[in-house]
Amino acid sequence: MTTQSKTSWATTRLPYLGSLCATFCQKNRAPGAPYFEAFPFLIAVAAAFLTLSGIVLAVYYNPWHAFDSVQFIDRDVNNGWLIRAYHATGTTMIFAVTYLYLFRAVLTRAYRAPGEFVWLLSVKLLAILLLTGWLGYVLTGGAAGYWSLFNASNAALSLGSLPGAVGLWFFGGPAGGGTLARLEVFHALLAASLLLVVWLIHASRKAVALPVAPARAVAFYPYYLAQYFAALAVFAFIFVILAFYAPHISSTHMNQLPATDLTVAIGAAVPWYLAPAAGLLGVFPTATLSILAAIAAAAVLYALPWLDRSGANGAKGKVYGFFIWLLALDVIGLGWAAHSHCALASTLAGVFTTWYFFHFLVITPVVTAMEAE
Amino acid sequence: MAESAASQVTAHGGSRREFLTLLTAATGAVAGGAILWPVVDALNPDAAAQGAAHLIVNVADIAENTAKTVQWGGLPVTIRKLTAKDVADNEFLVTSTLVDPADFSARVNAGYPSFVVVVGLNTATPCELEGDATSDPRGDFNGWVCPCDGSEYDPLGRVRKGPAVKNLAIPRYTFLNAAQIKLG
Repeated sequence: MTTQSKTSWATTRLPYLGSLCATFCQKNRAPGAPYFEAFPFLIAVAAAFLTLSGIVLAVYYNPWHAFDSVQFIDRDVNNGWLIRAYHATGTTMIFAVTYLYLFRAVLTRAYRAPGEFVWLLSVKLLAILLLTGWLGYVLTGGAAGYWSLFNASNAALSLGSLPGAVGLWFFGGPAGGGTLARLEVFHALLAASLLLVVWLIHASRKAVALPVAPARAVAFYPYYLAQYFAALAVFAFIFVILAFYAPHISSTHMNQLPATDLTVAIGAAVPWYLAPAAGLLGVFPTATLSILAAIAAAAVLYALPWLDRSGANGAKGKVYGFFIWLLALDVIGLGWAAHSHCALASTLAGVFTTWYFFHFLVITPVVTAMEAE
Repeated sequence: MAESAASQVTAHGGSRREFLTLLTAATGAVAGGAILWPVVDALNPDAAAQGAAHLIVNVADIAENTAKTVQWGGLPVTIRKLTAKDVADNEFLVTSTLVDPADFSARVNAGYPSFVVVVGLNTATPCELEGDATSDPRGDFNGWVCPCDGSEYDPLGRVRKGPAVKNLAIPRYTFLNAAQIKLG
């Protein structure tokens, strides 16, 4: 089945179109992949949508009068309230899909060879998302975001030597006038790099695809495109419900107040998607330890393909599966601890953090090695 | 009844599959449009900017033989109420004698011939003109004088004495009624 018989006016003039169509129509994919395989596609759609709404917000956003300009967008810009709801809900959705995608990769052990590279990119995606999401939370200029920035920038500057210099460069001083202006640019740059990582995940997933008998193979168009669109319809439905009925589900009420230097926002909470990371970092008493913990938490995730000792074709054990579900509860618990202000929460945050590292460094190698036998 | 559901031919000749494809594509296009329209609309100017772009000026309080200057779109827009003598002096002037020929009807709104609406900037050296109040210097033609280069304009805003060689610009405006002008 060649596509040459279908050469159109456009493809004779732009041959790239022909190869693009051939790629999509080529029967090289195994049929019957689960709908969850559409997660990277949904992440790409959400990222593109966030970029689009972010461009509109950037037109009106003024980092020197951050809170007022956000109010201006909400009240005066045509459909500005809706664009802001799009951006906030898009953030919730991209984080939700990314967390689910990573959880599924751990659960199905998709990180094992030859999927390590996809896994590394996926963890990178989460890291970039967390930083971009935090910057977006800070950019609103609300009381909670301001004090989050205040703490983070002061902690970075207190490090001294090279890390302190990097912090000074990144934040432009502890609370410099131009801090939000530069963070707006970093937010946009990180979003652009996010799109690149999403594309790299898409490209590297081809290497992971299972071989398929030619007789059974199906083409991306229309088989998987239809499947992706069905997944997108579900995604869009949840998105619309959230955007119209709970547009600021992720924002804390303290961020509805303008930031003032002399009033510390008590009871400020980070958005839900930052909560597990905030819970983990909050356990450590000093800035240096918090930063080391953040690096270590990312490092054990990165190292997962090598911490799993079951080998490429090792059996999928029930005990390890149980511990993965326990890890999910552990991460949710970290998020709860970041939001809770009771005395028990800080103790439990320590337990959850310990368990997080214990899971990756002890349970994963031991249990997978035992079950692979 | 040998045909399968997917290829069943309807009364109009299209198959059910074609109909469903069309329906899905149409629904998707409508949904996509509904999502994207606010993004496009948000880049339109907001109500305050629209209001400033279409400034409404009260002209009922302008006395004869005086003018009122308002800021609009970064320009001083001058609205002058002509006297009967101004009209009589200029209505039937032979335009070929002017530096930049323009007759009376080209300078005023036909329905409201006693009002002249011009951009009050000299067309040679861009200085704001003097002559709105009766106490201002108005030159030999009872119009406006440029304090920078001495160009003189008549009450219709036509240049009468150089160095300027072009008449005063007329901004976009409409009379909403006898008392209000909308600029832009």
